[in-house]
Formats: sequence, C-alpha cells, structure tokens
Amino acid sequence: MSEIGVKVQGLGKKYHVGLAKSGDFRENFRRKWKHLLGDYVPAEDFWALRDVSFELEEGKAVGIIGKNGAGKSTLLKILSKITEPTEGRVEIIGRVSSLLEVGTGFHPELTGRENIYLNGTILGMSRNEVRSKFDEIVDFSGIEDFLDTPVKRYSSGMSVRLAFSVAAHLEPEVMIIDEVLAVGDADFQKKCIGKMGEVTSSGRTIIFVSHNMGAVQSLCDSGILLADGKIQEMGSVQDCVNKYFENNFLHSNEVPLLERKDREGNGQVKVKNVEVYVNGKKNNAIKTGAEVTFRFGLHHESGFRFKNLKFHVGFNGGFNERLSWCSTDLMDENYSFEQGVDFVDLTIKKFPMNQGRYSLTLYLKTNGAISDWIKEAFLFDVEAGDFYNMARVVDPRQAKVLFDYQMKLGKAED
Amino acid sequence: MGKERTIIDAKKPSSTYNLKEIIRYKDLFLVLAWRDLRVRYAQTFLGLFWAVLQPLLTLLIFTLIFGQALNVDTNGMPYPVFALSGMAAWAYFAFVLNQSGTSIIGSQEMVKKIYFPRLVIPLSKAVAGFVDFFVSISFLIILMVFFGVPLTKSFLLFPLYFLMNILTALGVGIWTSALTIRFRDMTHVIPFVVQLGLYASPIAYPTSLIPEKYQLLYYLNPMVGVVEGFRYSLLGILPSNDLGFLSLAIGALLFFTSIMYFRRVERVMADIV
Repeated sequence: MSEIGVKVQGLGKKYHVGLAKSGDFRENFRRKWKHLLGDYVPAEDFWALRDVSFELEEGKAVGIIGKNGAGKSTLLKILSKITEPTEGRVEIIGRVSSLLEVGTGFHPELTGRENIYLNGTILGMSRNEVRSKFDEIVDFSGIEDFLDTPVKRYSSGMSVRLAFSVAAHLEPEVMIIDEVLAVGDADFQKKCIGKMGEVTSSGRTIIFVSHNMGAVQSLCDSGILLADGKIQEMGSVQDCVNKYFENNFLHSNEVPLLERKDREGNGQVKVKNVEVYVNGKKNNAIKTGAEVTFRFGLHHESGFRFKNLKFHVGFNGGFNERLSWCSTDLMDENYSFEQGVDFVDLTIKKFPMNQGRYSLTLYLKTNGAISDWIKEAFLFDVEAGDFYNMARVVDPRQAKVLFDYQMKLGKAED
Repeated sequence: MGKERTIIDAKKPSSTYNLKEIIRYKDLFLVLAWRDLRVRYAQTFLGLFWAVLQPLLTLLIFTLIFGQALNVDTNGMPYPVFALSGMAAWAYFAFVLNQSGTSIIGSQEMVKKIYFPRLVIPLSKAVAGFVDFFVSISFLIILMVFFGVPLTKSFLLFPLYFLMNILTALGVGIWTSALTIRFRDMTHVIPFVVQLGLYASPIAYPTSLIPEKYQLLYYLNPMVGVVEGFRYSLLGILPSNDLGFLSLAIGALLFFTSIMYFRRVERVMADIV
C-alpha cells in the first residue's frame, strides 16, 4: 500500500455574487451608506466548491473533469495556494508545482533565453535548476535559432512551445496542471502528451484538469467528476468520463434550446429549436448515408431586420473534438432578409458520420455582431446505416466518417 | 521522510510570514528585479544614460531656482552637493513608491495563475531601484570631490540611513500596493504624493527653514529623517534637532505595519485583484 500524497477534506470556497470587492471606492461607499440607511441588500453567497474530499496515493494521476463552472479551476487554485479555501483542509506531501497556464510572466521585451530563466523561477525553480535544464528545455522547444530574439517577435506558436518546454521540465513531486495541453500545433501537442505520459509514469503525483477527455483517459489512473462544486463521481476514469457525457447530453436536450442560459451573444436573434428531417420526413433517427436536414428555428424580436446573416454549425464528436463545420460563409448566396426569417435549413445529402454520439455548436451573427453562440446546443445519436448501398454497415471502430470514394486497379504503361 | 509538507487549512490560516519560504523564493525576487531593469531601458537609444540624465536635470533646475535665484541658506555647503544628497534619497523613495505601488495590479496575471509569496513583487522593486540610486550617489561623490567637500567619520552610518531609506520607501510602497487592490484610486494618489513630498521634505532647502511651531508636524514625514541622515552621514551636516528620530521611527512603523496589512490582503488577493 503506497502512501497518501494528497489528502483533501471537506474543502469549500465561497464567493459573494454580484459584489465587486475590488476597485470602486464609490461603490463601497455607496453600499456602506445604504447599510446605514437600513437599505442594505446582503450579498448572495455562492459556493464554487463544497464538501470536496478525496485522497490520492503518491505517484498516481487523477483527472478532474466537469463542465465550465463546475468548480475545477477553484479546486486547482486552492490546491496550488493561489486562493484560500473558506472551509476544509488540504495536506500535500512533497514539493508542489502548479501549472495553470503556460507562459505566465513571459515578458515580450526579453529574449527567449531570458524568458526561460524568468518563467522557470516564477514556476518555482532556482536559477541553478534552470541552468542545468537549459539545454534540454531549448532542445524540446525547438527554438534554438531564436534564443536571443525578443519574445515579442516570436509567432504565438513559438512562444507557446517555449513556455510549455519550461513547464515540462519542472521536477516537483506533486504537479497540478490545468488544460495546458491545448497548445501549439498538432505535432507539438503530440509531443506534449508524450512528455506528460513520461511525467506520469515517472512516479509523480499529478492532478490534471482538462476538457480533453482523450488526454484525461490516456494520462490518468483515476477520475473525479465535479458538478456544481461537488464531487459527483469518483473512481475509474472511464466511469467519470461516461457520467460526464451522460450528464451533458441529458442537460443539453432536456432544457428547451431557447431557455438555455449557457450562450453568448446579444440575443437579437436566437436559435430556438432544432428539428431533424431524415430523407424528407421529420424524424430523429439519423442514419449514416441518409439525407439529413437540420432545421434551426430562429427567434427574434418582432420587426427585427438584418442585412447580413452568418450562421456556423460545428459538428463535435464524443470527446467534444471538432469534426466538421458548415457555414453560410462557404455558400455562394446572399443571406440578407428584409422580412423576418423563421428558420435555417442545413441539408447534408449523404450523412457521412458513422454510428456514435455527436453534438452541434451553433454560432449566429447578424448585422456584424454575434447574436447567438451556444456550445453543445444539440445532441444526437447516429445509427450505422447503409452508406454505400451495399446492404452493409461499416463497423464504427473502423471508420468514424465515411467517404464517397472509388478504388480502381491500374497498370503503369511502359 | 524529510519531504516537504504543505498544509492548507481554512480554520488556521497563517497570518504571519514564513521567512523560510521568502528565502526559498529569493531567486524569483532577484530575477524579477533584473527583469525590471532589463525592460526599463530595452529599446531605448540612450539606455542607462537616462538614469543619469534625470537627476542631473532636476539638480540643474534646483540649483538655478533655489541655489541662485532664492539663494537658500545651506550653511556654507555648495548648493548642488546639498541638494543632490537629498535628491538621491528622495529619487529612490519616489522610484520604489511608483514601481511597487502599482506592482500587484501590474502583475495580476501572475497573481491569478501562480503561487509565490506575493511580497516578492513589491520587494523586488526595491532592488531594481538600486541602479538609479547608485548612479545618483556616484554623481554626488564626483560633485563632492569637485567642490572639495570631505567625507567625515559619520560616513560609517550611511548604510544604516540607506537601510531606513529602503524601509521607508517599501513601507509606503507596500501599503499602496495592497490598498490599490481594493481601491484603484490609489494609483492616482501616488503621483500626488511624489510631487508634494518633494517639497514637503528637505530636499531643496534645509529643515531650519521650517518655523518652530510646524516642526513637529513636519517631522511626521518619514523622509525628513532619512534626508537629514543622508546629509549627516555623507556631508557631516548635523541635524538641527532630535525630531529626526521620530521621523525615522515612523518610517520603520510604516514598514512593519505594511507587511502585516499586506499579509491580510494577500489571502484574498487572487480573488479580488
């Protein structure tokens, strides 16, 4: 039985809602004044985190997942001592390093070399440690040629790579990481995940927060699912991931689209519902290969006119990874309407996605401003269908997306 | 065993500083100070020359107005030497106050993302100010040689007065940096204090010009004691009375209370900054 590396007991963090404590002297004064007049409205308390307890064995990696606002970041901030808890207790054995963002403290005027020292010490390394790792860091980042160039002249990809390289060479016993894998181009991401795998297998205790379920599954031994500041599921990563999707899917399609609050935009035009037509008939059973039309009902204030409508539909897969994108931008048509519009139809002649669960992200722009933007707005299941008219389906383990293609034999002419 | 152990307990928040921890972060402290220096003169054509030019010009103006036009009585001391000894202390104070006062809100990205003893930020500004200070003092020595002003034995006390200069500057700076988090108004107060303080401290004139009945009030300004100390240790000018100790005590008090207040704010810093 190995020793406990991290022990969290009854952790909670309370915030006051709608009460800007910082900054405004007048606002503080006004509140005090109102208080004197007996007209004081007490600030509402909001528990970003409550009753969170868990233990983590030394050398294990735990993945913390949950929707935005579930309390993941708050938990990480408490564990890394950035903010103090309102209640509860944490005990961590070993030197702790936390990585909530790559490149914190990078200074654009300084050169790459100087920033390695700066960032390294900010992350808790001593100058000697940085010096001894310097070559490794430079090597990993692949920016040798620009070491003495100010970072402000770097491309954003380069500075992110440099930043991650510094962070990846920290050698704490306990490491707290937030979403930093989502950086750089695909190649570099692969390198990062490889490095993270190395870190996990090197016997360090790791607390890892991410939206990237794939990364969580491949890197972590166990999982914790947070929802509304509480632990909802704890145990194997797979269980947590499954539960996460279950929750999200339930949430997304149970609440009518128009009532969803997790949207951005000025709301002048909103998507109010999504209807699905399969081979011309209203039907929710989407099959691979069928003609599928998504009809997005629009809601707008009466008399609302717009000159220019832009509508993007993003198709996301089970790990919330983007698979495809359909947009009015790619159509050779004019989307101006002087009269009100009731719906937008998106038709896909031969639906190419194989059996699985997918979600749509909707983005609507009118008169040049974002009017509605909802992530995971609509969830749907696809059944395997006869895409190739061969009276057979393709195993989803073989293909996630099906192409219309041809295969021919040929012989080179001599 | 022998492993580090971090305990975070909501019921027992640590209200004192862990000196060991600050020492562990000494490298960060040095690197931040060095960064400030590098950045300040990056891409400037004249570079460090600016550090020389600024006191030089102020000194010129002071000498013309107070030394020549108003003919301030400096008890036989050449006016430029007299003024520069005070300006060196004041310029350092103003620099540290300016820099550390807004230092926390200036590094909010870091404060929100990484843990380290926040005190390191304003403290590092005190080190960054050493360069300009060194320039002013070198310049003063040149002037002293030029005017033939001898160093006296009291010079040995100079490190002590310089320490008081640092503590006073930090005291006001740390108070300001902590207050700025809650009240951004403080950022507007700083230039005010710097400008008023220049005339409310005996930089351009000797303390003997202050009428007797205002002396007590005047010495509440902690920089008065520091400036008198500078003049005593560098130029051998004896302070006109003992009230300088009151002034120095206020400086020390400001420093210690600032650290206590800072610690209190530090606990919620990431939430409200």
